[in-house]
Amino acid sequence: MPTNQEIAQMAHLMRRAGFGATYAELEQRAADGYEATVEELLNPTAQPDLEMDILERHFVDWREMNALEVNQAYWTYRMINTQRPLQEKVALFWHGILCTGNSKCEHGRQIQLQLDMFRELGMGNFDILLKGLSRDPAMVFYLDNCMSHKGSINENWGRELLELFAMGVGMDGHANYSEDDVKEAARAFTGWTITNAIPRYPYGRYESGFIYNPYDHDEEDKTFLGETGNFNGDDIVEIICRQPSAARFVSRHLYNFFVADEVQVPAWQNTPPRDPEAIALLEQTYFDSGYNLTAMLRVLFNSDFFKNARFEKVKSPTEVVIGTMRLVQDFTAPKLGLQPLANTIRYMGQDLMNPPTVEGWHTGAEWIDSGTLVERINFAADQVGNTSLPGIQEIVSRLDSEQVTGPDAIVDRCLELVGAYELAPETRDQLVAYAGGNGAPAPGTPEYSEAIAQTLQLIVSTQEYQFA
Amino acid sequence: MTTTIERTALPTIGISLQYSHTIGRAEFSGPGFRNPTAMARAEDDVMYVASRSYDYRPDGKRITMCTVGEEFISEFAKGVFEQGDGEPVATDGAIIWPTAITIGPNGNVYLADEYLDRISIYSPEGEYLTKWERSGDGDGQWNKPSGLVFGRDGVLYLVDCNNHRIQMLSADGEYIGQWGELGSGPGQFNMPFGIETDAAGNVYVADWRNDRIQKFTADGKFLMAFGETGDGPGQFNRPTDVAVDRDGAIYVADWNNDRMQAFHPDGSFAGMTYGQATISQWGIGKLEANPEMWEERKIAQGLDREKLFWGPIAVECDDEGRIFVVETARSRIQVFQKQTPLFYGVNERVAGGGGRL
Repeated sequence: MPTNQEIAQMAHLMRRAGFGATYAELEQRAADGYEATVEELLNPTAQPDLEMDILERHFVDWREMNALEVNQAYWTYRMINTQRPLQEKVALFWHGILCTGNSKCEHGRQIQLQLDMFRELGMGNFDILLKGLSRDPAMVFYLDNCMSHKGSINENWGRELLELFAMGVGMDGHANYSEDDVKEAARAFTGWTITNAIPRYPYGRYESGFIYNPYDHDEEDKTFLGETGNFNGDDIVEIICRQPSAARFVSRHLYNFFVADEVQVPAWQNTPPRDPEAIALLEQTYFDSGYNLTAMLRVLFNSDFFKNARFEKVKSPTEVVIGTMRLVQDFTAPKLGLQPLANTIRYMGQDLMNPPTVEGWHTGAEWIDSGTLVERINFAADQVGNTSLPGIQEIVSRLDSEQVTGPDAIVDRCLELVGAYELAPETRDQLVAYAGGNGAPAPGTPEYSEAIAQTLQLIVSTQEYQFA
Repeated sequence: MTTTIERTALPTIGISLQYSHTIGRAEFSGPGFRNPTAMARAEDDVMYVASRSYDYRPDGKRITMCTVGEEFISEFAKGVFEQGDGEPVATDGAIIWPTAITIGPNGNVYLADEYLDRISIYSPEGEYLTKWERSGDGDGQWNKPSGLVFGRDGVLYLVDCNNHRIQMLSADGEYIGQWGELGSGPGQFNMPFGIETDAAGNVYVADWRNDRIQKFTADGKFLMAFGETGDGPGQFNRPTDVAVDRDGAIYVADWNNDRMQAFHPDGSFAGMTYGQATISQWGIGKLEANPEMWEERKIAQGLDREKLFWGPIAVECDDEGRIFVVETARSRIQVFQKQTPLFYGVNERVAGGGGRL
C-alpha cells in the first residue's frame, strides 16, 4: 500500500510528465515504484497507441485532418486518452518552441504531420530532431525557406533556427551568434524547399512534400560560428548542436516546461538560470548522451530538483483542460462536443496549432489574467460538479466506501483524490467552513454526492489548483 | 512486313470495369458533399448521398438528392441540431452520424444514424415521415446501426454494429429475427459495417474488424467467408462496405487500404483499383469560379494523387452495371461501368442460350 507521500510524488510526476492521472492510476503507479514509472514513461512505444481505426470510423473527418478545428479536436482527444502521456507531453513541449501556426499554413493536416514528427523524434537526439524540422513542409512554408534562393536569401528560417529553435540570442551575458551567422546559415539552407501545392478545390488539399533543389543551393563556402566550408543545411545543424549554447537552450527549456517556471526566453541572455546546478547537470547529460532527450529527461525526473518542485509551475491552458478531463474521465470514447472542449483551451489563451507568433506562448504567470482565470475556474468547476461523470462518481464512491464524514475529513480526502493538492491553511479553513455548512449528509445519499461535488468545485477554484 | 503487337498489362480489374466519371465536390451545402458516408440508387438515375460533415459544421450534415449525371435536385435532413457544450439537440429528421442509406420497396428513403441509434425514414422527395429510435441490446434494439438493406421479400436487414449482429425487421420496423455475436468464427462478427443482398436473396456483410466478408442465406445461415488482414490481393484492412452486381460479382470498399476490390461470386479475387478520379462537372464549375486555381493546378506537384481513393467507405451497384465508390476524405463518388461481354457462350439470361445480347 503506497504511502501518502508516495502518492503525492507520483501525482507530481504524472502532472509534469503527462496530464495528470486518476487516484486509482496513481495508486497503481506508486505501487510499481517511482523509477519504474519514469522508465515506462520514457519508453512510450511499449504502450499501445490509440485505436485509430475505431476513432476514424466515428470521426470520419480525422482521415483528412483538413481544418484547424478538426486538428484541435483530434489532439485534445489524444491527450485525454493516450497511454503514452510523456510522448504527448513532449509533442506539446516542442510545439511551443519549434512553432508553426495555422495562420500561415497551406493545409491544416501539415501541422498534424509535424506533431507526428515530434512524437517520433521528440525524445531522441536533438540534432536528428532539428534535421527533421528543417525538412518539415509546414516549417519550410511558415518561415519562408521556400522563398530563400541562391543569391537571394530569405533569412527567416536561418534566424529563427538560431534564435528560437536551437541556441537563443545569448547566455551568461554574451551573444550566441552574429548577424553574419544568420546570413550564412540561410545560405546553407538554400534549395531546401517544398512541392507546389494542389489547390483546395474541388476535392480538398493534399500535404506538400519536402524537396531539395540542388540547382538553387549556394555551393560557395560559408563561415558559420567560426567554421568554414561548403556547408549544407545538415552541416549547420551539426555545428549548432556542438555549441554550449545549444546545451543551455535545451536544458533551460526542459527546466521551464517540466520543472519550474523560468523568466521568459528573451531574458535568458542576461538572466541566469533559476537553478544553475540543475541546468549544469542537464547540459552535461546533453553532451554525454550525444544530445539525447530521453537521457536528459531521465536525469531530470529522477533528480531532487524535480521532486522538490511540486506546484512550482502555473498550469498551461492545455494542462488545465486535459488534466481536468482525465480527472473526471469524460471523452474516453467518441462522441460530439470535442471541438467545444478544444475551444476552451483557446479561450484560456492557448490556441493550439496556432500560436500568436513564432516565439510561441509566454508561459508561467503570463498565462493568467482576469479573463483567463475566470475561464479556468468556470471550466474546472463545471466539470467536477457534474456527478454523472465517471471520474467524479469514482471519487464519491471511494469516499462513500471509506465512510468519510465531517467537513475536515471530506476536504482533506478530496484534496488527495484530485491529485494530492495542498492548500494554504486559511484557504483550507474556508473550504472546511463551507463544507460544514452542508450539514452532515450520510454516505450513500444524494446529498452526500452533492456535498462532495461542491467541495471539489471549491478545490478547483483555488489558486493552488492553477499550479502543477 | 509483319506488325507486332506489344504485350501490355491487362486491365487492373479482372472483372472488367471501365472508369466512367466522378460525381461531387467538397461543399457544406448545394451541389457537392462533405465527408459522405453512404449512398443509395433509386429510380430514374436518382441517387441519395448522406454527408456527415465536420462535427463543428452541422450545417454540412445532410442528404443530397441528385442524379448520376450530376444534376442537383435537392437536399434534406440537414442542420437541425445545435452544437453546444451539452448533448446535441436532434429534432426529427435530423442526422448527426449517418452510416447507411437504402431505398425501401415503396421508394422511401431509410437512413441509419449511429449517434442517435435512430433509423429515419423519408419520402422519395425527402419529406420526413417517421423514425425508430431504440438503443439497447434486446430484440429490435440496436447499438450503433451501421448498415441497412432491403432483401428479397421486403425484409430490412440492419447491421447492429456494437452488438455484433444482424437484425431482420419489417418495412414498418417490426422485429423478425437476428443472427450473430461477437467473435471471429463463422457467423460471428466484430463490429460489422456494410451489408448487401444479391438477386437470390443471399446476404453479404462487411465484417469490419475481422477484415473479411461473410455471406449468408436470407435467413442468416452461414454460406462462406473470404478475406483476411493485410494489404495484398484479397486481403482487407477494415472493409467498410460490400456490393453485389446483377451477375453476382462482389465489390468491397477496402477502407484502410484506400482501394476497391472485386471478387468472383465464389469469393475468389478478381481485381482491384486504387481510383481514377477526374474533375467532376460540379468541380469544373467550382474551378471556373476560381480561375486562379486552374493556374495553380498547372504547376502543382503530385497532382496524380487526386485520382486515388481516400477513405473509400461505401460501394454500391445499380442495375445498369455501374459501381459507385463513395470517398469520405475526398467528398466525391467515383463511378465505374462494368464491361459486359458482347457475346456469351452460354447465357442463362437469354432465352435459348448463348448469343448476342
